[in-house]
Amino acid sequence: MSPARAATVLVPPAILVVALVVVWGWMSAHGLIANYLLPAPWVLLMAIIDNASELLRHGTATTIEALGGFAIGSLLGVVAAILLASSRRLRQCFFPLALASQAVPIAAITPLIVLLIGRGLPSILTVVGIAAFFPMLINMTRGLREADIGYHELLHSLSASGAQRLRMIELPAALPYMFAALKVSASASFITAIVGEWIGSNVGLGYLIVISGQYFKIPTLWAAVVVAAALTLVLVGLVSLAERLAMPWAPKEPAQ
Amino acid sequence: MPLDEARVGDTYVPPRRALADGLAIREVEMIYRRGNQTVAALSGCNLDVPAGSWVSLIGASGCGKSTLLRILSDIVKPTSGTALLGGMTPAEARAARRFALVSQSAVMLPWRKVLANVELGLEVARVGRAERRRRAEAAIEMVGLKGFERAYPSELSGGMRQRAAIARALTLKPAYLFMDEPFGALDELTRDRLNFELLRILEETKATLLLVTHSISEAIILSDTVVVMSPRPGRITHRVDVGFGHHRTPEMRDDPRFGRLESEVRHALGHSMSS
Repeated sequence: MSPARAATVLVPPAILVVALVVVWGWMSAHGLIANYLLPAPWVLLMAIIDNASELLRHGTATTIEALGGFAIGSLLGVVAAILLASSRRLRQCFFPLALASQAVPIAAITPLIVLLIGRGLPSILTVVGIAAFFPMLINMTRGLREADIGYHELLHSLSASGAQRLRMIELPAALPYMFAALKVSASASFITAIVGEWIGSNVGLGYLIVISGQYFKIPTLWAAVVVAAALTLVLVGLVSLAERLAMPWAPKEPAQ
Repeated sequence: MPLDEARVGDTYVPPRRALADGLAIREVEMIYRRGNQTVAALSGCNLDVPAGSWVSLIGASGCGKSTLLRILSDIVKPTSGTALLGGMTPAEARAARRFALVSQSAVMLPWRKVLANVELGLEVARVGRAERRRRAEAAIEMVGLKGFERAYPSELSGGMRQRAAIARALTLKPAYLFMDEPFGALDELTRDRLNFELLRILEETKATLLLVTHSISEAIILSDTVVVMSPRPGRITHRVDVGFGHHRTPEMRDDPRFGRLESEVRHALGHSMSS
């Protein structure tokens, strides 16, 4: 991204954020916001600094769960999509169920999974993995069938094998769909990990949020929220960066 | 007059060292069913293309000329009749990689650079990396795309993409080159230049050419025989022998015979349309 374009993309939201923080600080200073609901900006900042080591420990745990589940779920989603895309019958059996599974709220099945697997990392990874698996499965099953008929005829005339077709045309053609799924599940993975920690873990930002709420440590609770949001933004940003690196042929800067 | 006088009037006799025997199409019929309706895309089609010769198929839309090419390329199977490429069925010829197909849309994989696109056929055929690179670079040089190896197809003009598609077809040293309106989407000037470049390449590679075109002058420039087809049902109605021999130059268009051939093909086309 050119510096000039970066500026036009980044400056307007930055101005808005600064303005909101100023209004928030002014309202806190004049007692218009109850401190037990939302502490003043400087109190929140101090809470982050004071609890840095604790936030680091819990943040690391959540990051491992979120990234691990995200990677495992996405990878299995790609593998399952390749299987479904290769067989019409499999697709007819499983695809409607995959779509229906999207209607099941992940928060609702989390207690069940914790009950099945037990508290701790494996159950949280499972929950995050499930949340990443289905968007990938659905998007990739579609994407793998998006390769132009002309590409297929070309590979056919060259006597290409099924594996060569998959590698040379179907997977590259599915990349935009894969990244669409990755972006969705990147932001969902931290949310899901935190929800999982509420009931299934005694470490992590979700655990910290619950504990801080119970002990009425509102600044610490908010500090955990800010860290979780920042981590999510970083992951979504990394996925966008990877998308651009993985598809150098695609138009880089959409026309506005 | 730059034409080789000795060749004028000769019908072309393919060289003995032609890479393969010719194409033989016998009683090929292609019937599509749409609901209760049947459409004869091709009917009673017979055609022989001697090895090393150049034949173009010309005719109105729906006369089955692309279908014929798709049958020979093993993309579709005829309802009845046989098509042989040097004694092989299209499926066998495809497995043996005896032919290459260049389509109108110059199919390029957008995620591969020009070099990788040209190497595609060799990569599919599991040719080693160094050999692949060498042959692709030679083909790229042959079609005049040197310097664009590292460009993505989206960065090329239509004419350049078509050259890249021809380069890819040439890398496998096909005995038969099938081209479906390869220059149809190009402007007149580019098209003209590519016509004569293609001739030079054909003389070099000794491939047998079967070309589908809409342009009468392109058909004459690029063929020993122009085959005129007519629609409903798609069939062959006329053959016009061009008799210019090989080693053609752009000046062939100034030859009075060129104009006569043009009007002959035009009349045959008009006749095929009204019949």
